[in-house]
Amino acid sequence: MPQTGTVLIEETKSKEALDVPWNVIVFNDPINLMSYVTMVFQRVFGYPREKAEKLMLDVHHKGRALVWSGAREQAELYVHQLHSYQLLAQMEKSS
Amino acid sequence: MKYLRVRAEPGKRIAITGINPVLLDCLQNVPGIVEQRDAPNVRKRLFPPPTSSDNAANRDWENLVVPDLRHLFDSAVEIMARDLESLTADPQHQHHFRIVFAEDHLAAWMSALNQARLVLGELFAVTEDDMRQTDLDMKQPKDLALFRIHVLGYLLQLLVEYATGLS
Repeated sequence: MPQTGTVLIEETKSKEALDVPWNVIVFNDPINLMSYVTMVFQRVFGYPREKAEKLMLDVHHKGRALVWSGAREQAELYVHQLHSYQLLAQMEKSS
Repeated sequence: MKYLRVRAEPGKRIAITGINPVLLDCLQNVPGIVEQRDAPNVRKRLFPPPTSSDNAANRDWENLVVPDLRHLFDSAVEIMARDLESLTADPQHQHHFRIVFAEDHLAAWMSALNQARLVLGELFAVTEDDMRQTDLDMKQPKDLALFRIHVLGYLLQLLVEYATGLS
């Protein structure tokens, strides 16, 4: 019985871990052009120009911006794509 | 660079015209600049870890993703360097040049130009304030790097405008 209980708790924890969204964060850098960053957000996430520009300005003025949130696997894919465009990006578990 | 233009050519090709000798020199230096990307701070900038604290995930990324990115970046620079070999004199403007290349090389051009700008930025620890500096002394290595970052950025801006349909 205790063993079953342990398994149940662990399964519940794992499910919670899977359900916690992951944030994709892009950081400001002094070199990348604002127009280039906007284009990358449009291409990677399919965002309309206005939303991409707003996020780019968030990155520029605040130093970082949360650009996407969701499943870990998809977050990894997006970070990979952002790195392929040479943007400084990381993923982190939503708090 | 008042004559510099990016425009569509027949046959799904792109022409960059009005390339002056200064921009040409910067373009020809791109492969050499990018070769310096294994300097520790440059490497960290071009191949950053995907997380700030998950060491296992960062190790996997280093082993699985970074080689893929490195190959992608190498290919982009090779494509741009090969296209540069087709450089010809610009018939419209004396002492200027033109290059015509396949439209599907556009992403490679943007990548190569941006890589070179980022490598220079890291090698010389360029800041936002440095980027606003206008009085540059070309005898100073950092100022020369800033100049190249701006010149390559001017062409990159035109390519982004072309790619996003704004030009």
